[in-house]
Amino acid sequence: MNLETDDLIERLATRHKPIRRLPPPRKRALYWLLIALCGVAAVVVLMSPRDDLAAKLTDTRFLIEELAALATAVAAAFSAFCLIVPGHSRAVALLPAPPLVIWLGSLGHGCWQAWLSFGDEAWRLSPEWVCLPAIAVVGAIPALTMVAMLQKGAPIAPRMTVMLGALAAAALGNVGLRLFHPQDASLMVLVWQFGSVALLSLLAGWGGRQVLAWRHVGNA
Amino acid sequence: MTDGNSQRLTDLMRSSQDGDGKAYLELLRAITPMLRATARRQLPVYNRQDMEDVVQDILMSLHAARATYDPERPFIPWLMGIARNRIADAVRRYARQAAHEQVVEIVPETFFDPGANMSAEVYRDPEALRRAIDGLPHQQRRAMELLKLREMSLKEAAAVSGTSVGALKIAVHRAVGTLREVLSKGT
Repeated sequence: MNLETDDLIERLATRHKPIRRLPPPRKRALYWLLIALCGVAAVVVLMSPRDDLAAKLTDTRFLIEELAALATAVAAAFSAFCLIVPGHSRAVALLPAPPLVIWLGSLGHGCWQAWLSFGDEAWRLSPEWVCLPAIAVVGAIPALTMVAMLQKGAPIAPRMTVMLGALAAAALGNVGLRLFHPQDASLMVLVWQFGSVALLSLLAGWGGRQVLAWRHVGNA
Repeated sequence: MTDGNSQRLTDLMRSSQDGDGKAYLELLRAITPMLRATARRQLPVYNRQDMEDVVQDILMSLHAARATYDPERPFIPWLMGIARNRIADAVRRYARQAAHEQVVEIVPETFFDPGANMSAEVYRDPEALRRAIDGLPHQQRRAMELLKLREMSLKEAAAVSGTSVGALKIAVHRAVGTLREVLSKGT
């Protein structure tokens, strides 16, 4: 055996102490969800829920979109926590796809219905850039909690992991946003809200190697 | 890898997580030849020392990420997940270095004025630099080797050298000062 490697092994074994195992991904996803929901609820209360919230909670389309976004967040969080455990299949990254498709499908169906009712008028899009920072703010606590929890794992696929983590936080941010921001036109929601979620996730994934690296492991 | 051997490694890892240092030592010794063989298969162009660096990287990564192992799951896929990741990082690092290095027969002159080239030439003299590094006190030389030549992180270098991160920082700072002084005296 190479002497330096032998020396390293001796040192690692000498410094070794009992460690606390990371809980399984499903448990970590649940812990994250509890903290994240508290953060989102606090922002919704601070911003005051929309006046027509009681009516919206009986609107099937609104409920489908909110539940699909919530399911996307939970699935993405679970996938991200799986990916930081070495040996897990990367196919788990596809788990958020079904709820994402339902969410997108509902928005697409809404756009189609609007076009049937209002014709070309339904494609009129007004600027609503505020959605991007609003989703980032509502999703801030979920995002920070996610980063802290991900840094306890191994950065096996950092970009994919951070993108999924950001998708979880932004999707939950969007769930919160719709509870106080009265924007329901499907095209507007699709472009400004879903678009913001997608953009934030992609941007975060792009910087994944800066967020998750081997130097963070064991320090977080 | 037989089922019995795989089960033995799983048991050793489980005991290691519970704080059994002897089991951890046995585990690391048992997996090192496996890691070396995996690295050799995937990095055929690497020389022996580069290969050993990759094996050490994998061992340190395993150490850092040992809390992520779930004893209910098999050990080998977990280990190979880390090994493949560190080998891929090594390949990327190698490709990046290769892309930025250009082999030339004559080093081009950097300035028209010969005097202006003096210090640059001295620092580019690998032999003088090697002699200067050899002349450093042991601790400073070790810190330079781990942090600057092998590009380890402070945490990794601290694990290898058995000193604290703070002591390493001081040793490197002093080593750089000593080298600057020695090399400038030589001009």
